[in-house]
Amino acid sequence: MLESGEGEYFVMTKTEKFKLIETFIIENQESHYRLAYSYVRNKENALDIVQEAIIKALQSIDRLDEIKYLKTWFYRILVNTSIDFIRKHRRVLVMDDEILGGYLPQTEDEQIDMDLLDALDALSAYEKSLIILRFFEDLKIEEVATVLGENVNTIKTKLYRTLRKLRIEMGEEI
Amino acid sequence: MKQINKLKKQYNDIEIPSELDEVVRQSIERATITKKKRSPVKQWSLGVAVAAVMFVGSINVSPAFANSLVNIPVLGSIVEVFTVQTLTMDKETYQANLKTPAISGLDREGLQTALNEKYIEENKELFKQFKADVAEMEEVGAGHLGIDSGYEVKTDTEQLLSIARYEVNTVGSSSTTMHYDTIDKQNNVLITLPSLFKDDSYVEIISAYIKDDIKQQMKDDGNVAYLTVEGADLEFRSIQANQNFYITADHKLVISFDKYEIAPGYMGVVTFEIPSDILSDVLVGDTYIH
Repeated sequence: MLESGEGEYFVMTKTEKFKLIETFIIENQESHYRLAYSYVRNKENALDIVQEAIIKALQSIDRLDEIKYLKTWFYRILVNTSIDFIRKHRRVLVMDDEILGGYLPQTEDEQIDMDLLDALDALSAYEKSLIILRFFEDLKIEEVATVLGENVNTIKTKLYRTLRKLRIEMGEEI
Repeated sequence: MKQINKLKKQYNDIEIPSELDEVVRQSIERATITKKKRSPVKQWSLGVAVAAVMFVGSINVSPAFANSLVNIPVLGSIVEVFTVQTLTMDKETYQANLKTPAISGLDREGLQTALNEKYIEENKELFKQFKADVAEMEEVGAGHLGIDSGYEVKTDTEQLLSIARYEVNTVGSSSTTMHYDTIDKQNNVLITLPSLFKDDSYVEIISAYIKDDIKQQMKDDGNVAYLTVEGADLEFRSIQANQNFYITADHKLVISFDKYEIAPGYMGVVTFEIPSDILSDVLVGDTYIH
């Protein structure tokens, strides 16, 4: 992965930067898709989110100051895009599925991973982000904090609360 | 911890659709293209909405100004197309970039003025709508909206000028709408699709050709897809009498469909070049198409 030592100074042209980000996006596309899918649980929507996040990211590479933050920077865009999407489509989705059912190829929304979906469904979008980033995508607490724009202690507190909500005993992990 | 691991396993089992690779590749490509287009638009110092950068009321007033913008000189002709107006907004998650084309040099002032006024009106309307959408979205919280419009000169010969104007809306996913105008520069007329033909039998001839071509393309290449759900009333039936079209420099008719019109979104805007020989019987003449 793209990591550089602490304090290492990187001078690169915009083209090099673009190329690096592009490589990162291609290499990690499956993680990104899974993350988006966890929010919307629908293939088409997840693909739309991935697409939008990529375009948004590549169009704002100026706002990524240091390449070592690439991962958290991109996750942040992806998480925000997913949450925006849910917010925007909440009202519309309810009856669409019924009507479109006959027209669209079968989507596997229903059968897949009921346990996971049930468990995650009980959580808010924000809590979902916490669990997915920390445990499924294996980000460090510090990285989760950067992605969600909070400080480390807040994230820790919220993670504990969320885990309790999931009724999962974690012992001394986290 | 066990349960978390179980959840994680289910997470990792989320099926990766085969289209993902293609979607990612296309998104990168699209970002590269729009990036180039957007690059002159700088983030404005105050970071708040900046609109209406340039406005030129009458396109004939300042040739010097016109020349400093996109200028497409035409061999042996003085009819030209240039950007007359740019409307932009770059405000955190809201982006708009609207370019309005203008034509100058046509002999018949009426046609030229009508077209130019139409272009300006349309973009003004788009920008107004966009600002209203942004205001609405800000009321309910944050969101992302983008709009991009511009034009492309498809054909520019001694005789013909075809301009394609596009409009890309980004809300979650994007949709693209195209509008074409084709002008006979020598006779100063705007060419419409029905005006090219003796009667309306062309609708059927062109539709039949496109239907066959769709089948052929899908057979030849597994990546090509059109809306063909059996019995779902979605598949391509017929072109409109005034379907979008333009004429190429080598006198071929090209029929164009907007994104989503007859194919899934990833196919984008699709066009079909119609072989001139199947049209020759119904054409009024062979001046434009042969």
